[in-house]
Amino acid sequence: MDPIGALAVVLALVAVGTVCGVLWRWRVGRAREVNSGKVITEEQIGQRFAEKVTLVQFSTEYCTYCPATRSVLSQLAAEYQGVKHVEIDVTNDQSLANAFKVLQTPTTLLVLSSGQIRARFGGPPRRAELAETLAQLIDSAH
Amino acid sequence: MTTSEGGTTGAKPKGIDPRGPRFGATITAVLLLVTVFLGLVFVPGSGATLAERVSNPAFVLLVVITLLFAWGAFAGIQRHPYGQIFRVLVRPRLDAPAHLEDPRPPTFAQLIGFIVSTVGVVLGILGVPFGLVVAAAFAFIAAFLNSVFGYCLGCQIYLLLVRAGVFRGGASSLAVE
Repeated sequence: MDPIGALAVVLALVAVGTVCGVLWRWRVGRAREVNSGKVITEEQIGQRFAEKVTLVQFSTEYCTYCPATRSVLSQLAAEYQGVKHVEIDVTNDQSLANAFKVLQTPTTLLVLSSGQIRARFGGPPRRAELAETLAQLIDSAH
Repeated sequence: MTTSEGGTTGAKPKGIDPRGPRFGATITAVLLLVTVFLGLVFVPGSGATLAERVSNPAFVLLVVITLLFAWGAFAGIQRHPYGQIFRVLVRPRLDAPAHLEDPRPPTFAQLIGFIVSTVGVVLGILGVPFGLVVAAAFAFIAAFLNSVFGYCLGCQIYLLLVRAGVFRGGASSLAVE
């Protein structure tokens, strides 16, 4: 192949990589509304639920962004009354991860005091979207 | 401060600056892209001898990249030459990292890179048309995603293998069941 053609292929490769990366970034950390009525129990998280919303974070030992997410979630929990942050390590708990379709960590669930899961965030959650979803849930939880 | 050996003592290894592997991925991505370019420009003819295939510039570069991956995979990401360069030249110019990263997933990611680039080398030896280029292209995408977007494909594979029970998670050593 002539160098110009080769350069074009190389640039196309970079473009493909960029598209993949941008798509991934765009999808990560966004709120997904859950209407399935799926429920998590206090037994599963090992704690009582908060009065209004519990921020359940699934983490694993090797998860790069879990510590940062832990900071964000515990800060948010501190800002609101009736909200608490619970972190669960699923490194060795295959069944729990499967039960809630945890495909990546961190995965964050927003859970009402009834145990009903109302939203989930795959990957490190975007703070603004998380705060907004949380505020909406707290309002509607009355 | 002592550093525990990667996984062999059974204790969780000391955390590393997460920007180190990304710095390495940047260098690797550039080298792989050059490999692809060279592999497209200097295509061994269909009648090329083994000696001609093996002295092809893209082949030579891919062998070097493969050896570097092997270094990272088997000596641990912390002892990788790029890791050393990062520590000495780049890290002092940066602020302290907000969080440290477990070195085991990026070390495993080096193993994935090693496997993919070895496939490319083997295809190059066998003379499979553009086999080397395609393998290098795949490896490039992974390195590029890591370098530019912070997405570590090898780390994700590692996590899936831990959850599948192939590697034992927790504080125990990296044992294959």
